[in-house]
Amino acid sequence: MNRRFFLKDFGASVGSGVGGMALASLFAGRSQGVEHHVPKAKRIISLFMHGGPSQIDLLDYKPKLKEMHGQELPASVRGEQRLTGMTSSQASLPVTSSLFRFKQFGQSGTWMSELLPKTGSMADQLCVIRSMHTEAINHDPAVTLLQTGHQQPGRPSFGAWTSYGLGSDSEELPAFVVLISRGSAARPADPLYARLWGAGFLPTNHQGISLRSSGEPVLYLRNPSGVTEAMRRHQVDTLAQLNRRAADRELDPEIDTRIAQYEMAYRMQTSVPELTDLQNETAETLAAYGPQAQQPGTFAANCLLARRLAERGVRFIQLYHRGWDQHYNLPSDLRLQCGDIDQPCAALLSDLKQRGMLDETLVVWGGEFGRTTYSQGKLELTNYGRDHHGRCFSMWLAGGGIRPGVSYGETDDFSYNVVRDPVHVHDLNATLLHLMGMDHRRLTFRFQGRDYRLTDVAGQVVQPIVS
Amino acid sequence: GLGYYGALDEFRILARSTDEHVAKSWTDSELLLGILKREKGDRLSSESQALTDFFIANEATPEIRQAHSDLQAAKRQQRAARGAIATTLVMQERKEPRSTFVLLRGVYDARGEEVKPAVPAVLAPTGVATRPDRLGLAQWLTSKDHPLTARVAVNRFWQICFGEGLVRTPNDFGTQGESPTHPELLDELAVRWMHSGWDMKQLLRWIVTSATYRQSSQGTDESLKKDPENRWLSRGPRFRLSAELVRDQALAVSGLWATKVGGPSVRPYQPEGVWEAVSYNAEDSYQPDRGEGLWRRSLYTYWKRQAPPPALQVFDAGTREKCLIKRPRTNTPLQALVLLNDPTYLTAASALASQSLSQFPTKGQRISAMFRQVLSRWPESIELQALSDLHDREIAILKNSPQLVQELTSATVTNATSAGATMTNSTTVPRPVGSTAVDLAAYTLVAHTIMNLDEAITRR
Repeated sequence: MNRRFFLKDFGASVGSGVGGMALASLFAGRSQGVEHHVPKAKRIISLFMHGGPSQIDLLDYKPKLKEMHGQELPASVRGEQRLTGMTSSQASLPVTSSLFRFKQFGQSGTWMSELLPKTGSMADQLCVIRSMHTEAINHDPAVTLLQTGHQQPGRPSFGAWTSYGLGSDSEELPAFVVLISRGSAARPADPLYARLWGAGFLPTNHQGISLRSSGEPVLYLRNPSGVTEAMRRHQVDTLAQLNRRAADRELDPEIDTRIAQYEMAYRMQTSVPELTDLQNETAETLAAYGPQAQQPGTFAANCLLARRLAERGVRFIQLYHRGWDQHYNLPSDLRLQCGDIDQPCAALLSDLKQRGMLDETLVVWGGEFGRTTYSQGKLELTNYGRDHHGRCFSMWLAGGGIRPGVSYGETDDFSYNVVRDPVHVHDLNATLLHLMGMDHRRLTFRFQGRDYRLTDVAGQVVQPIVS
Repeated sequence: GLGYYGALDEFRILARSTDEHVAKSWTDSELLLGILKREKGDRLSSESQALTDFFIANEATPEIRQAHSDLQAAKRQQRAARGAIATTLVMQERKEPRSTFVLLRGVYDARGEEVKPAVPAVLAPTGVATRPDRLGLAQWLTSKDHPLTARVAVNRFWQICFGEGLVRTPNDFGTQGESPTHPELLDELAVRWMHSGWDMKQLLRWIVTSATYRQSSQGTDESLKKDPENRWLSRGPRFRLSAELVRDQALAVSGLWATKVGGPSVRPYQPEGVWEAVSYNAEDSYQPDRGEGLWRRSLYTYWKRQAPPPALQVFDAGTREKCLIKRPRTNTPLQALVLLNDPTYLTAASALASQSLSQFPTKGQRISAMFRQVLSRWPESIELQALSDLHDREIAILKNSPQLVQELTSATVTNATSAGATMTNSTTVPRPVGSTAVDLAAYTLVAHTIMNLDEAITRR
């Protein structure tokens, strides 16, 4: 049924009052209201570690590497894989064991590096996937593949698909929100692109809204100086009155929508500042997220905001933490990066659990690819780097229908190849959609004569990790 | 924090302190002596230049020095003149055509059969390209028998005028696309256009002077029921302006539009921090222009694809990373926020209000004039009453608040984004003679409200 008929009948009530469902569906645009099966998760919080965090130093414990340390990477392990332009000129590819110690955490005995002690303390909530793989080798194609299902840009991002499929759960906030933080590692971070949270060929209202850390959280949110809230209210009221008259005269349903959108904009001017005002957070909560919890633009602050967004019905909350591209100076830089995220990740999980929200919130942690076993640049006693590596990498998931306290998938002794239970990026996305109640094969959009979907023409739900 | 990467050459310990000029002169003289020791033919051009520079600076007569300086100035002028000439790349056929192969599964070194240039057989019933090169392709495309070129183009122009083409999938005239709603009309226009010599102005004239285009866009119950999407063109077109036109319109009605044509891209208002958020190291910073750069057509806005201008994005401008034949037309609260809070629109409203205050004495006339300027019609009495009430309500607040008046009417339009930062508008909105600042503030808000009406950004 055409949305226009729906809105035309609603015309009268929309102008005068604000109905929850009507407004929410208007905001989400032409959403499908899809639910192919009963969902386990109501929302996703994606903690995206941009740059490719090193799995060997964080999540994929390889004790045998110690014996091989410094030796040339065997050709049998490397196989036919081409090297990146950066390392192909290296004279040697020395195997590099991690400088960091690993230990087992929790009752599940999950192996994690000493760089993630607090995350480790939540190990019994996590499902660690060690067999992720992707064919992309550089950042932009890899992130684009993970977010949109294709290495070349132009397709909708995961959050846009979610907004399109499920609409918004909130009357006052968008369905898809993005928060960005810079890492502490001193090097410049690889650039991001607004299209990574774009709507592609879906209607533009499904795109992610990035909340900025300085200035107004949403662009153009604040009244210009000289315009008070009361003055603005008078304007919006007059607009509604005059637009109402036009709607009656011209019978175009778009006018009704516009009246509603102005009302929504007015409400956002209050609801968004309320979101970022941490007054009613307890001191314990703030302390749990760490010393940066109240510093806007940091990962800690964004994690706290993520929980608040989750409480207010946002469906897809995506955090980008930048700076994980440790080609050089890995030991020092990785320490800094982990310092940014370890405590806030644990605090977020624990916070969600305490509020009874973890079971319906899917939390995903990881980057676009992993890093090489061999050192990029000179292998020194206390310093090394690692190049990009797509053949295997690690992620962890928690909450929202994921089996807690388990590990899935295995790599070889070098953390170079997947040897058991591979999980491709498409498989991950299929699984996440599945947990949100959507069949990845049936959530489609016709464009240029083809029914596109997030998982392109691939992807299988990884059943063993679904509880 | 990467430390020092370099080499150490000489290490001298002095009995007294010295300054950097001394150290520099040591370095220089060592360098020059080293160069002199080399054979002339072995020296790099930069090294010979260093010798020349030293000579001119220290040993030459004043005449030589003057001549040298003149020469440098002339060379700079020459470079600048050359640099100002706009250049572009062109393509040229190679003498020997390059062998081209099908690449199996797209792998760059997995060659299949060799192929030669040609046009798709299914589209070339007659007039197969006579030459297998770009000229041949161009001739084939524009041949009078070509079933697609003119029809696709005519459809695009129809889309510009009507919001939707006769074929509603303008990027797909194939079996997966939609059929034309009026196939004979499309064909007729296409043929007529080709025979006119592909005259675009003529084509547009035919379209906009047609009875179809000149119908009223007002819906009636009957036409909405039978023709909800206006496929049968039972009424005139009604659709929201494109992103660029929403802004251009505000500039035009307010008189702030800087009509200069051409030239390099300009930077209008944009909230702070948009570029920093996506750049490597927050080194990319957007500085809005001062003066006329703020008020040029949106066509001239500098476009950074990584973080395109948000005010245009919100109105579906697209990112320009892919060719977009048909933009979506959304209707979102973010658009409302831009129209309500972007300084561009508030300043435009202020300019409009100021003109109105100068030209007309009474409230009714002033509001009507602003209304007509924006919407091209006079207000109905109910509409005039509503806006008049708005004026009264706002002025009641403004009368008691000189601070607000000051902020609304000063030449500096401050967008309260970050503390202390202002986007200064160096366009002074003149205070009309005989009116107070309070008046200007109140009428600014009324003008601003008119510019926010749905009708103000909709073609109808």
